[in-house]
Amino acid sequence: MNDAGAAAPAPARSGVPGPALRRASLLRSLRTPWPWLTLAVLALLVVFLLLPLVQVLVGSFGSGGRSGWAIVAAEPRYLQAVLNTVMLGAVVTLLALVIGVPLAWFTARFDFPGKGLIAVLPLVTLVVPEVIAAQTWLMMVGNNGLLTRALAERGIELPSFYGWTGLVTVMTFTYYTYVYIGTLAAIRGFDVQLEEAAQSLGTSPAVSRWKVMLPVVLPAVLASALLVFTLAVGNFAVAMVLSNKVPLLSVLTYQATVSEVGSDPTLQSTLATISVAIVMLALFAQRRVVARGRREVVQGRGAVPARLAGWRGAALGAAAALVVAVSLLPVASIAVGAFTQARGPVMRWGQWTTAHLERVFTRAIDPLLNTLTYAAIATAIGITLAVIVSYLVVKKRNALTPALDYLTALPLALSGTVIGIGLLMTFNTGWLSLTGTGSIIVLAYVVRRLPFGTRNASSTLFNIPDSIEEASISLGVPPGRSFVRVVLPLMAPAIVAAAVLTWTTTVAELSASIIVYSGGRETMPIQIFRLIDSGLMAQASAYGLLLVAVIVLPIVLATRLTRIDLFASRA
Amino acid sequence: MTQRNDHRNDHLLNRRAALAGLAGLGATLALPSRAQSGSVVIYTSNNQQAFEAVVETAAKRLPGVKFSAITGGSGQLLRRLEAEAAKPQGDVFWSTSANTLGAFKHLLEPYRSPELAAIPAALQQPQNLWSAANLHVAVAMVNTKQLGGGAAPKTWADLLDPRFKGKILIADPANSSTALTILWGVDKMLGAEGLKRLAANVKVTSAAATVLRSVGQGEFAVGLTFESNAYAYVAGGQKEISLVYPADGTFTTPEFFALIKGAPAGELAKKACDHLLSKEAQTELLLAAYRRPARSDIDVSKLVQLPPLAGIKVFPIDEDEAAAKRADFLKRWQTLAVA
Repeated sequence: MNDAGAAAPAPARSGVPGPALRRASLLRSLRTPWPWLTLAVLALLVVFLLLPLVQVLVGSFGSGGRSGWAIVAAEPRYLQAVLNTVMLGAVVTLLALVIGVPLAWFTARFDFPGKGLIAVLPLVTLVVPEVIAAQTWLMMVGNNGLLTRALAERGIELPSFYGWTGLVTVMTFTYYTYVYIGTLAAIRGFDVQLEEAAQSLGTSPAVSRWKVMLPVVLPAVLASALLVFTLAVGNFAVAMVLSNKVPLLSVLTYQATVSEVGSDPTLQSTLATISVAIVMLALFAQRRVVARGRREVVQGRGAVPARLAGWRGAALGAAAALVVAVSLLPVASIAVGAFTQARGPVMRWGQWTTAHLERVFTRAIDPLLNTLTYAAIATAIGITLAVIVSYLVVKKRNALTPALDYLTALPLALSGTVIGIGLLMTFNTGWLSLTGTGSIIVLAYVVRRLPFGTRNASSTLFNIPDSIEEASISLGVPPGRSFVRVVLPLMAPAIVAAAVLTWTTTVAELSASIIVYSGGRETMPIQIFRLIDSGLMAQASAYGLLLVAVIVLPIVLATRLTRIDLFASRA
Repeated sequence: MTQRNDHRNDHLLNRRAALAGLAGLGATLALPSRAQSGSVVIYTSNNQQAFEAVVETAAKRLPGVKFSAITGGSGQLLRRLEAEAAKPQGDVFWSTSANTLGAFKHLLEPYRSPELAAIPAALQQPQNLWSAANLHVAVAMVNTKQLGGGAAPKTWADLLDPRFKGKILIADPANSSTALTILWGVDKMLGAEGLKRLAANVKVTSAAATVLRSVGQGEFAVGLTFESNAYAYVAGGQKEISLVYPADGTFTTPEFFALIKGAPAGELAKKACDHLLSKEAQTELLLAAYRRPARSDIDVSKLVQLPPLAGIKVFPIDEDEAAAKRADFLKRWQTLAVA
């Protein structure tokens, strides 16, 4: 009953094959394109990902002097930083799940007034530069925040936002979106017949939903949880503003890497290795859980969103709206800031102007064009790779698959800074010299965001049964065409979800591209970072607003053109 | 169902065609497209306002030349220069702290700009590897609304008073040369005990720009920083912000420029250096970005409301010593800052 109806474990192969049979099947598989494709993708990853990483590690160990491990072991604040980082990652991930999963379920399964807006708006939070997010929260609940002062007048003292309170709050409300998007795609692909079957067998709706839906949605939920954990562990933009005296690994690594007064390569590589280890452990744990509960589900009929009405609908809608509204505060601050007059760093609140936006279009259009070009190319390459990789990893397993699987996940464990430095060191001169060109920015984008696309594309692939493709091949359609004709269309919703996430995070990428960009090739996030650093919040907001438009417009356009509605189920 | 699938498939094929087109576009991008003449790349830790002041004044002297900037902390930029040494991408380096420059002499090209005639010899490097372009002065940026009715601090010693506990913000000296200059100076002036008492009063931020923003936003009453960036808030008309030049003597540090070895712009890179030091560019830098010029022929107080350097009591610090003992000092600061 657990695997009611179509949710059956992967079909078992008949018996244990003998050696002759095994050799025959190996030969047969070599005649298909898949092992060769695996090899080709693996070669790409080795050159563009592994090689740069090795360069960083080798380069930093070569400097001699005191070992980074000795420094880390000798100073208690490094151990404290490791513990704090794991703790922060765990708490933020948990809270992001608590917010993201119910919101996704709610949006996928119910119709309520204003659903369209509530469904799309969380995406926008992904593009708000994290510094602006942190600053907006301070405007509300900082030492001199609006809410802080209002409550103080009524005798209520808010706890200081600097330290744990601020770190957890800002990161949770920034990162829950990843859980929301990942889970939404999976719930949408879930066949409602399973739930109905379980119910008709006598289980109560709540229990049947839990028992049947959980194994199917879990891979996607865990994949996005891992993403959030990684982001929280790697985050330094929020941490730098709010951590105060809470030592964190990301801030210490950042300081060792790009310190204004000289860097410490050995320490940097040691700290980077520790954070790689933390994320790898999390990745390993996630794999164990996913492997144990692997299910194939026949794509069937999605649930028809139930109409919510009355006080219950209003209450649930309001709760969802509140969560989304809170997470949108930074976006509001950008929207207001972009049209507010400013003299240098001083904002003239209440006096409006369009000068900042005009300036972007008349005098400083390059960052916009650069961003569009590089991100479009990177997303196209990234999604193609993600589809191929996830198909190879999930459906065409061979001896090389584990290597492919872990290599594509590797960028999750690397900070953008490390990726950037590695690419710069590897492709500066020699057989492939990319420094000073746009292609190194595209490369940095593709490498850094590859896991995002792959995780998303593969989480739904688990739910496409092998038998459909096998049927096509046995009817005489070659494997390549079977893939394009049969599997790709079934993957389409997941590909769109992966493309949306890749596009969004690529357009907003900062920490790797700021290392590899060259004169005249700055992107919008780089320009925003520069303007914020110069105290020019109004101009930064104008670019921020544009960044939001650049991310949202193509998504709306793409979903219209492909008629794949991201947020409705296929009834 | 079948029809629906076919339909969807068509769209996918169209998208694949689009992808192929984009891939072709990517191939053309691989070509180095930065023209060898007519463009100058400046590596700088200066803010956008300062960079724009240089660019806008260049239109007359270097017409048609396209300026672009690579921005970041000095250490980060020098590391990047080092990574690019075999194929330099930058022409001019313009950033703070001679201490860090010393270790990167092999990346720089000696150049004696004719404009150096107007700059005091003490601010020039003997081999012409670098020279001061402008000067930074340490100040206390005060938000008078956040003082809780108390008087503004007048000296560094005032800031040790427990009434400022938790109200002062400074950047992390491990990360910011501004903070390092100030804390090193306080240690020299008020001794180890003074530094310890200051450490007990301050909050530390890892991002230097946060100091200015936080005091401006009223998160903190006092920020320890350089006058140039803090003065922007006074000039912008925020009435509660004032700059305090501590009466017991404050600390100054020059900001340097250097010609990068193998600069792709060639002779044009030298002209850009000349322009950066020129009276016109330095005047605009003062007016737009409040950078105090190293040139001795610009009357600062006539152009902006900054006090003349002669009117500021300066506590001399030995930059070479600060550079040599940096690691030990930071370690000592670290033990104080967590206590």
